[in-house]
Amino acid sequence: MRLAFEEKGADYLLATRDEHGNVAPVLLKKGDEPGTLRVDVPYQMAMILTKVNKFVKEGKIAVVARRCDERAIAELVKRDLLDQSRLNLIGLACSAEQVKECRCTDPCPSVVDFGECAEPSGDDASVARLLDMSLSDRLGFWIAQFRKCNKCFGCTLNCPVCFCDECLLEDKTFTPEKGIPPGLAFHLIRAIHLADKCVECGECERSCPVDIPLLSLRKMVSQDMKELFDYVSGDSERRSPLLTTLEGDPMEDDANVC
Amino acid sequence: MSVDHILTTCPYCGTGCNFFLQVANRRVVGVVPCKTDETSKGSLCIKGYNAHAFVNHPDRLTHPMVKKGGQLTETTWDEAIGKIVSELKRVASAYGTDSIMVLASAKCTNEENYLFQKLARMAIGTNNVDHCARLCHASTVAGLLQSFGSGAMTNTIPEFENADCVLVTGSNTLEAHPLIGARVLKAKEKGAKVVVVDPRDTPLSRVATMSLRQQSGTDVAWINGMINVIISEGLHDKEFVDSRTSGFDELREVVRGYPPEKVEEIAGIPKDDLVKAARIYASAEKAMIAYAMGITQHSNGTNLVRALANLAMITGNVGRESTGVNPLRGQCNVQGACDAGALPNLYPGYQSVEDDETHAKFEKAWGGKLPGKKGMTLTCAFNQALTGDVKAMLIFGENPMMSDPDTGHVEAAISKLEFLAVVDIFPTETAKLADVVLPAACYAEKDGTFTATDRAIRAVRKAADPPGDARPDWKIACDLGKKLGSEGFEFESPEQIMVEMAAVAPIYGGVDYARIEREMVRWPCPTKDHPGTKVLHTESFKIGKGVFAPVEHTPPAEETSEDFPFILTTGRNLFHFHTGTMTRRSVKLQREAPNPYVEVNPVDARALGISDDASVRVSSRRGSITLSARVTPWIRPGTIFIPFHYVEAAANRLTNNALDPIAQIPEFKVCAASVEKA
Ligand code: SF4
Ligand code: SF4
Ligand code: SF4
Repeated sequence: MRLAFEEKGADYLLATRDEHGNVAPVLLKKGDEPGTLRVDVPYQMAMILTKVNKFVKEGKIAVVARRCDERAIAELVKRDLLDQSRLNLIGLACSAEQVKECRCTDPCPSVVDFGECAEPSGDDASVARLLDMSLSDRLGFWIAQFRKCNKCFGCTLNCPVCFCDECLLEDKTFTPEKGIPPGLAFHLIRAIHLADKCVECGECERSCPVDIPLLSLRKMVSQDMKELFDYVSGDSERRSPLLTTLEGDPMEDDANVC
Repeated sequence: MSVDHILTTCPYCGTGCNFFLQVANRRVVGVVPCKTDETSKGSLCIKGYNAHAFVNHPDRLTHPMVKKGGQLTETTWDEAIGKIVSELKRVASAYGTDSIMVLASAKCTNEENYLFQKLARMAIGTNNVDHCARLCHASTVAGLLQSFGSGAMTNTIPEFENADCVLVTGSNTLEAHPLIGARVLKAKEKGAKVVVVDPRDTPLSRVATMSLRQQSGTDVAWINGMINVIISEGLHDKEFVDSRTSGFDELREVVRGYPPEKVEEIAGIPKDDLVKAARIYASAEKAMIAYAMGITQHSNGTNLVRALANLAMITGNVGRESTGVNPLRGQCNVQGACDAGALPNLYPGYQSVEDDETHAKFEKAWGGKLPGKKGMTLTCAFNQALTGDVKAMLIFGENPMMSDPDTGHVEAAISKLEFLAVVDIFPTETAKLADVVLPAACYAEKDGTFTATDRAIRAVRKAADPPGDARPDWKIACDLGKKLGSEGFEFESPEQIMVEMAAVAPIYGGVDYARIEREMVRWPCPTKDHPGTKVLHTESFKIGKGVFAPVEHTPPAEETSEDFPFILTTGRNLFHFHTGTMTRRSVKLQREAPNPYVEVNPVDARALGISDDASVRVSSRRGSITLSARVTPWIRPGTIFIPFHYVEAAANRLTNNALDPIAQIPEFKVCAASVEKA
């Protein structure tokens, strides 16, 4: 509270706190009763910030952000979807347990205000297991997983870098509307579309009611991005290497919106 | 500028997921899942994610209206309420109070349903109060009350995850109760066997361990068949049967008549599959049964529920964690509406209106005379309106013109009423026929509680103001009660109503708002220091011993004929909810399933010369509708399926009003129909 409003000079604080026996996202104004703030339940704050930002058009917002939130915010700022000068990040280091759950390789925010940075996770057993499979086994694995999908759109709605107003996946050309499951294209289009944005926050996997290992899929795509283009999304300096003209020259700034 | 996150309960299915409504400048703008909610654990289904979408829809009713010169015309609350009061009084004095029917609502809160039934019983003076549970789980309430002594889900939603076997029948769980379906899948991932018995291939059956497809309307046969296999192979739990149940010998006698060969003949389930499924279920350490409308909506629905109870008891799968008989209730508060006494034969907390002691207790608690005779069911009320015995109806948040069987019959019944008042959030098909229409607040605009299918009492919190002059139903009910001259409607808040309900309904005895703020309480919760109950019937059944019911297979009320060769079955799809009033006004949900359709097997389609998306006419003995064909192997040959959400091709124009003799639930799941090119 004090940190946000006095030291960081913000007008709002986006955090989480105890409410009704649960942990809830909350947008506090200067002078509001803070209640019991909590930092142990990982809400995807970058996603909530984007939503809040649509309505809070003035003033500075301080956000309690983990490393993945920070990286997601960087992706959004690059695309002019958030205004860096109106943001103040309050760095929150994830617990060792959370790092393990996300198989996270980059858990430490640039400034740590809460918590202690845990060791990054080394290898990802789930990805390694998948890479060990033959291509046809791997396809079989994913088909079996995607058959469970009941098209809640949770993986897109809760993703901090899924920001299109009209989602391609809601277009029946790609995902026929006749019931569920929505088919492979749904998941694969999403994986590819997010290749240069996904910050591996794991929110899609956590939101998935049927436990499809979506984060493993993302990690495999990210690994390719790194190997092919030496690019890691969430980089606040570099633009996506996928944003090129057909001739192969980098696009000009104004074309860099999405 | 403010953006708030208000924790509340989903207004759709009975799973009871909690989520945050995102409110910007007092307007509901979005939904954020709640990570710490025990039921949803930070996930939702597509309906939940879109639960904000209809709230600000321009079609919302905003002003009271009364019919003047055949037209519904905007008016003041005083005039509209005055009109209802004077008409109800007139009808009561001319024809008696039992000529008035009150329909409560499974979409309203516990507190509101408590008031609706009190309004009928105290202020109007009739036990004629019912709601759409009559159309979904009336047979569950009746059947499980007889078998176990309590008509609700025996176990809880989180327990699905730890079962060793889940037998799902008559429930398209992944579409109708998506987050319960998800739990079943989690169990499967952990090694549980999932057996689905359904005439349709459902998203769940496609990933199940075993999927059996029975002919619609033959469920007693396959259930008895399974029990037969279990007993003859000695797989039953003899100790449980001896110590906890009665009536085993009679049951054994009856199921002898259902050897696998005969079941194959009746139900079309290959005999080896039946034996295998029976073995899977019986040999699991913890086996759960989940079922929904596919079991209850039959003219022998009560017997079917009892047959499932037999199956669970014979294997000792009752009274322990991750076992039991689990009816999945379809609406956000259909469980609560039953609990609150919106039933013609039961006071709040399932206490019989015909029991002298209970009757006296309620007269004392409410301070007035109460009618002694049990009231009329919803299905019966429409029949009686047609014969002129019911003259007036007061309907809160229900849409019988879409939800009840045989729409033509409902329409005729309503047109014979002398007076109809409807309280709703949208101009429904029923509201359009009313003499007075009152605009209500929706779930996002009021406080209260819903009771989920697993008896968890969940808070509904006000996130925004109702549009225009609309008011919450509890205020409307209080107003009506007072103006009808009755005492006991002076409530200032839903919280006060819960205090009274807890005082008269022992299963809610320990429930209060302070507790619900802190914890998840499941009834029965008789006292403030009682933790609530997860698993029912652990030590003994509410009625002492569990009662086996020797039930026989009876064919459905309507059989196919040359003119109507198909069996029509109806139900929901993932994207819409019931009569579509809310979901069809939600852009993303409507986009997913915009038009009415009928599922036809490719074999039948070929014989009829129908291609996918072709326009077809489906008829039954009661009416016909035109819609497009969806040719799919997911439905068995000879059977067709129509979701009932679409007013432009309302499935209930076709369905049969044949009733279960005990629960008076209509047979939505079987009627004879024909299909032809349109
Ligand atoms: S891990 Fe999933 S939710 Fe997170 S950024 Fe990547 S795709 Fe989006
Ligand atoms: S979150 Fe899971 S179930 Fe929902 S749409 Fe994504 S993959 Fe499908
Ligand atoms: S599963 Fe049911 S309660 Fe949960 S979000 Fe979906 S419709 Fe709402």
